[in-house]
Amino acid sequence: MTKKQLIPSKAMLLVVVAAFTLEATALVQFWFSQKGLREEAELRAESELEATRYEIMDIIDQAEAAVRNSVWIAQWCLNVPDSLGRVCRRIVEDNPVVAGSTVALVPGYRADRPLFSPYVCREEDGSFRALSLATEEYDYPHQEWFVRPLELREGYWSEPYIDEGGGEMLMTTYSMPIVDAKGTQAAVLTADISLEWLKDLVGRMKVYPNAYCTVSSRQGQEMVSPPETGIDGKQKTFVYDSEVGRTGWTLSLIIPENDIFGVLRRVGSIVGILQLLGLLIIILMLQSFLRSERRFRELDKQRERIAGELKIATGIQMSMVPKTFPPFPERHDLDMAATIVPAKEVGGDLYDFFIRDEKLFFCVGDVSGKGIPAALVMAVTRTTFRNLSSREDSPGRIVTAMNDSLSSMNESNMFVTFFCGVLDMANGVLRYCNAGHNPPRILTDAIRALPVVPNLPLGIMQGFEYQEQETPFRYDDALFLYTDGLTEAENAAHEQFGEERMDNALHGRKSAANHLENIKGQVAGFVGDAPQSDDLTILFIHYLPNRFQIKLKNSIDQIELLPAFVEEAVKASKLTPDLSGSLNLALEEAVTNVIMYAYPEGKDGECCIDAEAKEDGLTFTITDSGKAFDPTAKEEVNIDAGVAERPIGGLGIHLVRKIMDITEYERKDGKNILTLTKKY
Amino acid sequence: MEVKIERENAVVTAYLIGRLDTPASLEIAPQVNGLSADAGGKVILDCSELSYISSSGLRIFLTLRKAAAEKGGKIIVRNISNDIRNVFMMTGFLNLFEIQ
Repeated sequence: MTKKQLIPSKAMLLVVVAAFTLEATALVQFWFSQKGLREEAELRAESELEATRYEIMDIIDQAEAAVRNSVWIAQWCLNVPDSLGRVCRRIVEDNPVVAGSTVALVPGYRADRPLFSPYVCREEDGSFRALSLATEEYDYPHQEWFVRPLELREGYWSEPYIDEGGGEMLMTTYSMPIVDAKGTQAAVLTADISLEWLKDLVGRMKVYPNAYCTVSSRQGQEMVSPPETGIDGKQKTFVYDSEVGRTGWTLSLIIPENDIFGVLRRVGSIVGILQLLGLLIIILMLQSFLRSERRFRELDKQRERIAGELKIATGIQMSMVPKTFPPFPERHDLDMAATIVPAKEVGGDLYDFFIRDEKLFFCVGDVSGKGIPAALVMAVTRTTFRNLSSREDSPGRIVTAMNDSLSSMNESNMFVTFFCGVLDMANGVLRYCNAGHNPPRILTDAIRALPVVPNLPLGIMQGFEYQEQETPFRYDDALFLYTDGLTEAENAAHEQFGEERMDNALHGRKSAANHLENIKGQVAGFVGDAPQSDDLTILFIHYLPNRFQIKLKNSIDQIELLPAFVEEAVKASKLTPDLSGSLNLALEEAVTNVIMYAYPEGKDGECCIDAEAKEDGLTFTITDSGKAFDPTAKEEVNIDAGVAERPIGGLGIHLVRKIMDITEYERKDGKNILTLTKKY
Repeated sequence: MEVKIERENAVVTAYLIGRLDTPASLEIAPQVNGLSADAGGKVILDCSELSYISSSGLRIFLTLRKAAAEKGGKIIVRNISNDIRNVFMMTGFLNLFEIQ
C-alpha cells in the first residue's frame, strides 16, 4: 500500500514542479514586460505632453508678446487716455490669437477718469468692435485679471472663464501692469485669448486608444474635461502631469492601465490558459501512465499468480509420477530411475510404474502440445493407465482400452504417444505395446532399439486394436525409455542430440541412477545455454533378478530351453560363467528323469524349475506332480567297474551328485521336489 | 546335432558336431548304434566339435564300447574338450576309452 501511494505523490510533485516552473517563468516574463510597457508609456506620455506643452506655449508666448510689445505704447499714452483704445485695437489687429484687449486704468490714477477701460474685440466676421468695460455692473477694478497683476507687479494669466459677452467661449486673459514714469502703477494691459483650440489640441493626443488629456488651471478649474464616454471610474489609470509654463496650468495625460497592459494581459491570459491546458495534459498523461503502470503491475501480479499456480500444477503433476528412487528398496531384482524435465512449467510428458502380482507395469508417454492442456491430458492418461492396469495384465489390452477411453472424450484433438510394458519378474518375460512412441532401447550384450509395431498414438481412432509384443528379458538386461525431448534436444546451432549420441551414452554397465545422471549430463552439455524446447522424460529399468523360473512340458525337446535358463541363473549368482555347462548337465539329468518317467506315457505333465541365487550358493528346485520318485535313493554307480560290468544306466543321477554340492529330495503335497545346490 | 561318418579302409570315423543332450542323443542313437556293426574294427569318435554331452550321450558311447569289447574292436575318442574330459572323469569313462 505505501508503495502504491508513493508513486502518485511523486507524480503530484512532478506536476507541482512543472506548474511552478511554468508559472514562475511566465510571471517573471510578465513582470518585465509590464515594467517595459510602463516605461514606454511613461516615455510616450512625456514626449506627447512635451509636444503639446510646446504648442500651448507657442500660443501663450504669442499672446504674452503681443501684450509685452505694447506696454511701452500704453505707458506713453497714459497721458492721453483716449488713445489707449487704439493701442488695444492694434493688439487685436496684429495678433490673430488675441480675441480682445483692454487697457484699464487704476481707479484714481487720473482724477478725470476714475474708471476707464476701452476694450476692443474681434467679431466673428473678422471686424473689430470697441466698447468700454468701465461699467457699474462689471466693476473691473475688482476683476481678477485687474487685481492680480497689480498685486504681483508682473504679467499674470487669469483663471479661465466663460465669456458671457461673446460666443460663450472659454477664455483666459493675460494682463500686465503698466507703470508710469514715476513708478506708479497706472493701468493694466490685457489680451484675451480663446481656449477653444486647447480642446482640439489636447483632443489630438491619442497615444493610446482610450487615453485622454485634461487641462486644469492654477486653481484647479477644469479647462478641458475628460470625455464623457470612455473610461469608467473603476478602471485603474496612469496619470502623467506637466505644468504649462507661466500660466500655471496643468496638463494631465490619463492612460487607462488596460491600454498599456491590455495586450500583455491578453497574451498573459492566453499563455495562462495554454499553461493550464499543458498542465492538464500532463496530469492526464500522468494519470493514464499511472493507470497503465498499475495495469502492468496488476498483469505482473497475475503473471506471478499464474506462475505460482503453474508451480503448484507442476507439483501436482510431479506428485502423480513416482519420484522416490529407488522405488522398491526391498527388491534387489529391479534397479530403476526416471525423470521428467518439463520445458515449460507443466508439461505433457509422463511416466509411471508399479508392481502387481510380481509384474512390473510401466509406461512412458508424450502428450502432443505443451502447458496446462497437455498436463491435464497427461493426468487423465496416467489415471486411465492406473485404472486399467490394476486389473488387466496384457499391455495390448490396456493400451486398446486406454485408447478407447481417451478417444471418446478427446474434444481437443490431443493425442498421446505411449509405450506400455509389463515385465513378468518371475520368468523374465517382457510384454509390451507401443502406441506411436519412440522405440525404447533394450540393453543386453548390445544396445538396440526394441522392435516395435508402430500402431497409432492414443486418442486418434476409437476402436483401434493395438498389437502386443513380447521379448525375453533376462538377468542384467535393461530397458531405456525416453520421449523425443531427449533426441530432439537442440543446442544453440539447432542441432539435435539425436539417437546416435543417445545410444553412445548408454554404453557400459552402470546403476540406473548413474545412467540417468550420465545421459542428463550429456544432454545438458550438448544443449548448453539453448532454451529447452520440449519436455524430456527418461525411464530406465535394469532387471537384476535372483530368482528365475521355467516351466517345461513333459516333452524331451524342452531340454533345449535349459542352457539359456541356467546361464542366466549363473550370471545372477556368484558362480563363474564356465560352470554353466556342468550345472546345465546336472539339471538336464534331473529334468530328463521327470520328463521321461514322472508322467504316464501320453499324458501331459509339467516340470517347474526355480532357480535362486542365494547368499551362499545357487539353488535349483525341480518340481513335478508326477509319480513319487526319489532319485537320491538310487544306488551309487561303480565308476571303476570294467567295461563288461558297467551298467548302461544310472549315470545321470551320478553326474548330478558329482556336480552339485547338495542334492535333496522331498515329496510334498503330491509333488516331487528335488533341490540341487551349488555352493560358491 | 549332427553326425558325419567316414569310412576309410577298416577305420570308421564318426564326427560328432554340436550338443549331445538328451533329445540329440535320441536323435542320433540309431545312427551311432549302427556303428556297432563296425565295432570289430577301429572306430574313431571325433569330438573336436562336440561342445556338450549328457548321460544319454554317454550311454551311446558306452553301448558302442561294450560292442567293441565283445567283438574285439577298438574305440578311440578323439579331441575332447575340457568340459567333456571333466564329464568323462566324473563318470570313470577316462578308464573305459582310449582318449586321443
